[in-house]
Amino acid sequence: MDRSDRTDDFLKKFKGKIQNVIRKPKRLYFEVNNEDLREIAKYIFHDMGCRLSTATATEVYDAIEVLYQFSHDPSGCYFCPRIRIKDKKNPVMNSITPVVRGAEWIEREMFDFWGVTFLDHPRPERLLAREHPKNLDKPLRFGRIS
Amino acid sequence: MKLNENINHVPVGPFHPLLEEAEYFNLTVEGETVVDIDMDIGWMHRGHEFISEQKTFTQSIFLVERICGICSTSHPLACVHAFEDVDNTEIPERAAYIRSLVGELERIHSHLLWLGLAGHFIGYDTLWMWSWKYREPVLQMMEIISGNRNHYGMMRIGGVARDVNPDRINALLPILDMLEKKVNMIVAAAKDDPVLKSRLKGVGVLTKKDAIEMCATGPTSRASGVPGDVRADEPNDAYRWLDFQVIVTENGDVWDKLVIRLLEMLESTKMCRQCLDKLTTAKGPILNDVKEISAGEGIGRYEAPRGEVFHYVRTDGTNRAIRHKVRAPSYVNIPTFKASCKGIPIADALITLASVDPCYCCTERALRVKGEHPNAIDFLKQSRDKTERIRREIHGH
Repeated sequence: MDRSDRTDDFLKKFKGKIQNVIRKPKRLYFEVNNEDLREIAKYIFHDMGCRLSTATATEVYDAIEVLYQFSHDPSGCYFCPRIRIKDKKNPVMNSITPVVRGAEWIEREMFDFWGVTFLDHPRPERLLAREHPKNLDKPLRFGRIS
Repeated sequence: MKLNENINHVPVGPFHPLLEEAEYFNLTVEGETVVDIDMDIGWMHRGHEFISEQKTFTQSIFLVERICGICSTSHPLACVHAFEDVDNTEIPERAAYIRSLVGELERIHSHLLWLGLAGHFIGYDTLWMWSWKYREPVLQMMEIISGNRNHYGMMRIGGVARDVNPDRINALLPILDMLEKKVNMIVAAAKDDPVLKSRLKGVGVLTKKDAIEMCATGPTSRASGVPGDVRADEPNDAYRWLDFQVIVTENGDVWDKLVIRLLEMLESTKMCRQCLDKLTTAKGPILNDVKEISAGEGIGRYEAPRGEVFHYVRTDGTNRAIRHKVRAPSYVNIPTFKASCKGIPIADALITLASVDPCYCCTERALRVKGEHPNAIDFLKQSRDKTERIRREIHGH
C-alpha cells in the first residue's frame, strides 16, 4: 500500500469524525473531537503501527491546541490529530496515555506548562516544574497571548 | 501499611553522573535486586522552546545548536528540516552531502564517547582510553570542515554555511583512512572480548513490546528488534543516495546496544567516504537563498546518535516561529528504564542507565556518597567488581 492509499483509507474510515484536514507530502494534519480522540489514537497506534513522536500544545487567540504527532516509520508519514480546547480558563481533554503508554511524559508536560487537564491520565502530576523554585500561580507557558 | 524490611530506596541524583540534565532516579531495591524505578526530570529546564519563539529563524538555529554539546549537528539539522518542511524547500546536492558528512562524523564521535564511558563504568578503562584517543581525529576533521571542534555552525535554511573545498577534502581523506582502520580495530576488539560479552549479555533487557509501547527510538529500540531509523524511513539530505545498512538486533540487552553502536560506526565511516568521494565531483552552490517562510506548519527530524530528534515549527508568515517544539531522543528513551531496570542486580543498574546513551558531563560527581552513610552504595565500584569477578572466572587469574 503506498502512502496516498494509506492516507485515503484513513480519511475514509473516520469520515465525519475529522475536520479541517491539511494534506502535505508525508504530512496529514487534522482536527478531531475530544470524544473521538482516544479511538483515533488507538487506531493510529495499534492498528496502523505508528509511533508517537511527541505532542505539542500551542496557545492561539481563541483556544489551546494540542497536536499529537504520530510517525508511521515504514513510510515516513506523519499523522497529526489536533484538539482545539475552546475553554481556555479550564482546559480539559481526554488523555491518550491509557491507549498509548509513551504519551505519559508529554501529557504531564502539557499539564505542567499549559494547564491542560488530561482525564484518565494514570499520573496527573507536574513533570518539569515540579520542584520549581517559585510558587507558580499559573502554568509557565499559559497566558502569553492576551 | 506493613513495611517490608528488605525493601530499600536508593536515590540517585538529582545531580546524576550519567545524564546531561540533572535528574533524579529513585531505585527501589529488595536485597540486591532492583524491583522498581521512578524518575523525576526538570532540574535543568532552560526554556529553549520559549526563547526560540522570541528569535528569528536564523537565530533559532544558533540557539538549538546549544541544547546539547554532543548533538550539536542533530538539533540544528532537525530544526532546518522543520523550517524547510513548511514550504518544501529543496537544498542543493552539494549541501546535502556536506550535511550528511557532518552528521555521520558526529555519530562516530558520539558513539566513541559512549563506548569509552561504558567501558569505564564496568571497569574497562583500556576501552575508554582507546575510544577517546580515536575520537580526537574526528574532532580534528570537524575542525577542518567547520573551524570548530564542537558547535559547528554549519546548518542554514536551504543549505549549509561553509563549503568543503578540494584542499579540505585532501586534508580529510588521510585522517579518514586512519580512523577507519582504528574504528575497525576497536570494533573487533570489543566484539570479540569474552569478558565484555559475559558482563553485558542479558543485562537490562528491553523487550520489543516495551520498546514499541514506550515509543523508544534509536539504538535503544533497534537493539530490541524495532527497525526504525529516520535516515532510512524518511531519507533526506544525502541519505537518499548513500549506500548504508540499518543495524537491528533482537535481544534488547546492553550488549546488543553496544553491538549496534559499534556496527553503526563502521557504517558511518563508509558513508563519510561516500560523501567525500561525491564532494570531489559534485559541483554547484551550497545554499539556496530562502527569503521568507510562509505561514504553516513543519516537522523536521534527524536520526541523532541517540535516536530521533524531533522539531515542530508553526509559522505565521513573519520572521519567527510562533511555536517551536523540540523533543530530544532521551526524552522518550529514559522512560524505558521502567521496563529495563526491573529485576536486575544493583551492580548492573549503572550500565543499564548508561545504555540509552544519555549525555554525560559530570561523570564522577554524584557517586561520592560512599563512606558518608553506613548504607551508602558506590555504584561504580559494584559495577567494576562484577566485571572483575567475571574476568577471573574466564581467565582464571
